[in-house]
Amino acid sequence: MYQLLKIEWLKIKSYKAFWLLSSVFVALYPITLFIVGYKYNSEISNAKGIEGGAIRGLLGSPFLFPKIWLSSAWFGGLFFIAIGMLFIMFITNEVQYRTQKQNIIDGWSRLDYLKAKLSLLFAFSIVATAIVFIVGLISGLSFSPVSAYSTLMDESIYILYFFLMATLYLIIAFLIAILIKRTGVAIIVYFGLVCIIDNLLWASLTFQKSQIGYFLPFEVVDSLVPNPFSPSVLKRRTISDWYLVAASFGYITLWWYLIKKKFTQSDLKN
Amino acid sequence: MNVLSVHNLSKNYGAIKALDGVSFDVEKGSVFGILGPNGSGKTTLLAIAMNVLYASSGTYVWNETEDINQANQRKKIGTLLETPNFYPYLSAFSNLRIAAAIKGCSLDEIPRVLKIVNLYERKDHVFNSYSLGMKQRLAIASALLGDPDILVLDEPTNGLDPAGIAEIRTLIKQLHQSGKTIIMASHILDEVEKVCSHVAIIQKGILKTSGSVQSVLNAGKTNHQKYEIASENINGLNEILNELTGILQIENLNGKLVITAATDINAATINQFCFQKGITLTHIIEQKNNLEKRFLEITGSASDR
Repeated sequence: MYQLLKIEWLKIKSYKAFWLLSSVFVALYPITLFIVGYKYNSEISNAKGIEGGAIRGLLGSPFLFPKIWLSSAWFGGLFFIAIGMLFIMFITNEVQYRTQKQNIIDGWSRLDYLKAKLSLLFAFSIVATAIVFIVGLISGLSFSPVSAYSTLMDESIYILYFFLMATLYLIIAFLIAILIKRTGVAIIVYFGLVCIIDNLLWASLTFQKSQIGYFLPFEVVDSLVPNPFSPSVLKRRTISDWYLVAASFGYITLWWYLIKKKFTQSDLKN
Repeated sequence: MNVLSVHNLSKNYGAIKALDGVSFDVEKGSVFGILGPNGSGKTTLLAIAMNVLYASSGTYVWNETEDINQANQRKKIGTLLETPNFYPYLSAFSNLRIAAAIKGCSLDEIPRVLKIVNLYERKDHVFNSYSLGMKQRLAIASALLGDPDILVLDEPTNGLDPAGIAEIRTLIKQLHQSGKTIIMASHILDEVEKVCSHVAIIQKGILKTSGSVQSVLNAGKTNHQKYEIASENINGLNEILNELTGILQIENLNGKLVITAATDINAATINQFCFQKGITLTHIIEQKNNLEKRFLEITGSASDR
């Protein structure tokens, strides 16, 4: 697997879109989190009287330990969509350049090719998770009063949830790229699913307090990392995190199975 | 030993049969030409053998191995299939590095193969900046990585200029002499005739004939032979030739005579006969029974497109 990842690295390290889109995540994400966190903390602490107290009570302190883990994971998730797009481009480019075919001709099995991409997928998820952890830690340390340091790791489970979210988002991107093959169309379908269809389905399914909507392909991980600004009184989810974690693993396995089935059984045209 | 055995291979696209029950063996050490008009199924055949396409039915095996994992066999085969396929934003060197890593061969191989195809000086230029001919040469360089015993070359001289074509032909001959097996698809008859020891002719997915080039040519031999002759006194020549027994037919073609003669007559007989009759020949050529003629006999002269 490491050998396969090394070859994938040879492919991507000179690829401009890789540096561009990963810098969206690596640079814009922490900058945004710091700015929003800084603004929020100064506004909230300046808000006086009943109003200020009400906001603090409703929202809590999303940029202080231990809530910062959720915020860093949630912001990370917003920017991670760029990595999903990048991942689609990697795979569809190989179709367009016919290098996917050449890799097979040169001696990879179909499964070797998929494993190489899978190793890259996990590399992205792991590195992104490490960044989310570091960004969370640094902002937590700089925003929180020293007294909060005792609760530092309390809600760090959100870092693991982020890892699950990143992996699931990428494997869906993987499936879309394998099925659609054309860069533009695949990216449009990906964004359409992430931003529109998933939300519409979720809204219609969670209407009247049904819990089924939380098991939608993206929602299952989105719900694990909920919006840190949405007041807890509005939460309608009653099923526990563990069901969603189990469902996420189920989805990852299912999508991988479909990718494998499709790619190992079909002709590589073009 | 057979390097490649293809058995009853078929490929259907809906109702269209791109390949229909093709079987043949490629002996070790041969230069095996797969000849056919455009769209006859040559590339489909090779793509199946390289696991890019799946056969609808039939089997193939490399190196008579029982190994289920034919990917390991492919690592030891140098292949150029259809077009040069490389990462456009990477240099020639980086592209070959990826191919070498997949094949599991040493990085030292890269300068060697780049020198063979005269691209060493441009190794750091990105693939996108290459001309068509350079791309083709890079693909050949990639096929040579690891000094494989088998080479599969699909239209290897495609896009090359005359000097490039001559170089590649020389290279193929050298590789052949060093004991390598070369499987080459082409629609250029002259190319196949010049470099191949064996040939398979396919048309519309059907294998028409296969065997050594000589046997394929001989199978088409007839009991007469054509000669093209000329003299300053063309009318006199025409008259005296009628007296020579064994001449079956004389045609006048643009100031030259094309004569059909029985096989017991040869060029020397004709020359001597004319000289004795007081006519000096300025031109005599035996029309060879070449692959082009044989190919057209087998496939029919109409274009298949």
